[in-house]
Amino acid sequence: MAIRHTLLGGLCALFQRRETEEEMDDELRAFLEASAERRMRAGMQEDEARRAAHVEMGSLESVKDDIRDAGWETAFEALWADLRYSVRVLAKAPVFTAVVVLTLALGIGANTAIFSLIDSLLLKTLPVEKPEELVQVDNYGFTNPLWEQFRDRQDIFSGAFAWGPTEFNLSQGGMVRNADGFWVSGDLFRTLGLRPAAGRLLTVDDDRRGCAALTVLSYSFWRSHYGAAASAVGSTISLDGHPFDVIGVAPAGFYGMTVGSKFDVAVPLCSSDVLYGPPSRLDARHAWWLHAAGRVKPGIGMAQLKSRLAVLSAAVYGSAVPQDWDPKSQDNFRKRVLRPAPVANGLSDLRGDYQQPLRILMAVVGLVLLIACANIASLTMARSAARGKEMAMRQALGASRQRLVRQLLIECVLLSFAGAALGLLLARWADTLLAISLSGVSRQVFIDFTLDTRVLVFTAAIATLTGLLFGAAPAFRGTRISLTSAIKENHAAAGGPRNRFRLWLVASQVALSLVLLVAAGLLLRTFRNLASVDMGFDADRVLLVNVDLFTAGMPKSEYGAAYQRIGEQLRALPGVLGASRSRLTPLGNSDWNTIIHSDVPHPVVGADDTVDFNTVDADYFATLRTPLLAGRNFTNKDSAQAPAVAVINQTLARRFFPGVNPIGHTYRAEGGARKLDPPVEVIGVVKDAKYETVREEPDPTIFRPLSQGSEFESENFEVRSALPESAMVAAIQNRIAGVNRTVPIEIHTLAAQVDESLTRERVLAALSTFFGALALLLATIGLYGTLSYVVTQRRTEFGIRLALGATRQSILGLVMRDVARVLAFGIAAGIAISFAATGALSALLFGLTARDPFTLAAGGALIAAVSLAAGLLAARRATTIDPIAALRQE
Amino acid sequence: MPEKGALVQGTLDMLILKTLALEPMHGYGIAQRIEQISQGVFAVNPGSLFPAFRRLERQAWIKPVWKPTDNNRRAKYYALTARGRKQLQSETETWGQQSAAIARILEAC
Repeated sequence: MAIRHTLLGGLCALFQRRETEEEMDDELRAFLEASAERRMRAGMQEDEARRAAHVEMGSLESVKDDIRDAGWETAFEALWADLRYSVRVLAKAPVFTAVVVLTLALGIGANTAIFSLIDSLLLKTLPVEKPEELVQVDNYGFTNPLWEQFRDRQDIFSGAFAWGPTEFNLSQGGMVRNADGFWVSGDLFRTLGLRPAAGRLLTVDDDRRGCAALTVLSYSFWRSHYGAAASAVGSTISLDGHPFDVIGVAPAGFYGMTVGSKFDVAVPLCSSDVLYGPPSRLDARHAWWLHAAGRVKPGIGMAQLKSRLAVLSAAVYGSAVPQDWDPKSQDNFRKRVLRPAPVANGLSDLRGDYQQPLRILMAVVGLVLLIACANIASLTMARSAARGKEMAMRQALGASRQRLVRQLLIECVLLSFAGAALGLLLARWADTLLAISLSGVSRQVFIDFTLDTRVLVFTAAIATLTGLLFGAAPAFRGTRISLTSAIKENHAAAGGPRNRFRLWLVASQVALSLVLLVAAGLLLRTFRNLASVDMGFDADRVLLVNVDLFTAGMPKSEYGAAYQRIGEQLRALPGVLGASRSRLTPLGNSDWNTIIHSDVPHPVVGADDTVDFNTVDADYFATLRTPLLAGRNFTNKDSAQAPAVAVINQTLARRFFPGVNPIGHTYRAEGGARKLDPPVEVIGVVKDAKYETVREEPDPTIFRPLSQGSEFESENFEVRSALPESAMVAAIQNRIAGVNRTVPIEIHTLAAQVDESLTRERVLAALSTFFGALALLLATIGLYGTLSYVVTQRRTEFGIRLALGATRQSILGLVMRDVARVLAFGIAAGIAISFAATGALSALLFGLTARDPFTLAAGGALIAAVSLAAGLLAARRATTIDPIAALRQE
Repeated sequence: MPEKGALVQGTLDMLILKTLALEPMHGYGIAQRIEQISQGVFAVNPGSLFPAFRRLERQAWIKPVWKPTDNNRRAKYYALTARGRKQLQSETETWGQQSAAIARILEAC
């Protein structure tokens, strides 16, 4: 009731302002008249009585102000007036406004971009019903038998589901067109509470052994591939060459359980049998292809979940023991316990890689924004000095200092919000770019950047904060002026302390920029170190051609001949310098390893004697230019019937055959159930080469000849050519199609594959360099601006000095002394902060330490050189002062 | 005796309400009445009186009533509302209790 009155009264006063004002005037006049009348009755003269009445009332305007202040609407009105005034002021200084808004847009945009990446990757919850109730259960993943055991025995979830990522080839032969696949158990969509955008979603009934080939499309795939046509539901789609019926479309915004990737087509687990036939993967107790989670029943806490899972695990694991494991491993398997973990945010393999870099980037962009703030504070202060007269005038006319400060702060917040709006646009664009640069040949990164309130609140918050930050000092200092001196426009009065404050600001900018430069230098050099690391092979102009005979539906007996013919065709291509065949390719994102026993006693290094494997043909080392250091390469004589042979790398020779010539020695690999395979003779040693990542110390690696094993369903050809990639791809496609039209092919360069394993380092180096350069630019502008201002302010002083006989040189020296002080302090502080802070980078660096003296020195030298140049440029203006003109101005 | 005009914080509103309990009055009348009844102890400054009116009006404790004056102008009178009457009652009670308590304390020491 009272609130309604307050509100209504305020609104009335706002909208019927003239009426309200007139009423107030009438009332006060009536009061004065009554007061005067009474005094007259008491015997006073009329004018004396009137004067007394007025004296009693005091200033009419201030009484009216007090009355207005009793309601809320005046505060609002004043705010509105200040806002309009601020807009007008800013519009009158378009250059200043543009510079500030742009600087802020860069600063705030960078912060928003990184934050929304953090938000999307780490903070956002899955767009499903009550995601906080979802709990993943895990202990090294799930096989399908394990999942079925868990599904049928669990009593803690109101719904349980399993899923796994995969890729499906959409094309029927020829170049592979991959779609992101999503294995889902029948109850996934129901448990997540999702509603179809069209058709229906998969249910428990669709996920039974021997099921039909059904699929649900993702909303984005439906839009991009079907134009969101209703007719998509009911059509068929070819996945790895098998027709699947499209039964519906998942809701918009649902991209699966994995953050950082998306799904295009979801298929039930049972359709694994449609695609991969017998032996069924559904019964395989060693195929770990699933994750499992569920929606916790109401009232069950984490502790309860844990204890219940401990009990369930014994039965679940006990009923799905892999048959071909050795007894000890089987025993350990039975003892495994499922652990619960909240999965409201989904899963992501990007998180592990990028959590730390993102934190660092957030700090970096935060510093950039701080530097930008200092710049703008400096600019606003220069402006507020120029506006000294305006401020003095307004104060003289009765504006309170508080009101002036408020209006100045509003100006700043306005600027920062304009910057934020532009920054938000920049951030959207930058995020798209970032997501693209995180993707490589094998990993397509997809990040859902849908704006959520968290990002908007973050942006609004930093906008307000920056506005206050760069606005506060100038506002308070700008309004603390001596009226008379300001109106007289006396330069000297406004000088001293304010300049010192500005120089401090610049010094701190120099310090912060140096920190960013050092960080950028470290990351850039890390990338350079990694990129120039000796890979052990030459990736230049090598194309990798993956050929998938299984999906082509070829019987296994024909694999050998097919691979043979494809190899011949590739070798015969014009421009081809060499071609080879192998199971794996270097840094190809897959590995194959086993424990071996050599016939020479040796100490175990690391956890155990696990070594990496690959099978290659005789041309592999020549094609990749990995030099053979000892012994011989494979030959035609190393056939399936000949004695088993292998080529090893240097590390393996050193570790497993210490002190002897490994040629002629043998090793035995552990096969299934830890039984030892027959001995294999070492015939050659090749140079170490990177196997999985660029960062790794070379792993011990064994190469076995393809001719001594059975063919794989999918193998790779390495083609070194004299021609560029673009010229080769179509020719390779044609040649393979000539052998078999239905074979799916994937082609990319080995260089791209190497690049991909450096994605994180490249992105970090690029971003930190960009931000470092931005910081340097901002700091330089700040220094130049401040010095120019100081020079202008000291014009008279310099004029007098010159008139009294000072040389131009000494004037230059006066200004450069300031520069030197700023630099000395800034660089010293910058080095100190770098020393304290760059330790956070340690884990990301390669080939240098976080306190690398060269990087520190280079950063310091760079910033000193640039600052001195900017300083000289500004200081030169001091020497061109005409003493007569400078003095006359006074 | 306190210096003339020093009004205990927050009591002006109550005095205005009390003054209006008898009949609607205009601003000057209210000021006069408070000064008279307090026998000149409280002088009410217009600078605080009018903002108080605005405040009380917003609380819906008093409402404006327009009456014509002798010289054919309209004058703003204030009248107590039902809510204002209730408020006055409760404030009077609180005041009575508090002042009695203060009196007891002062006597005791």
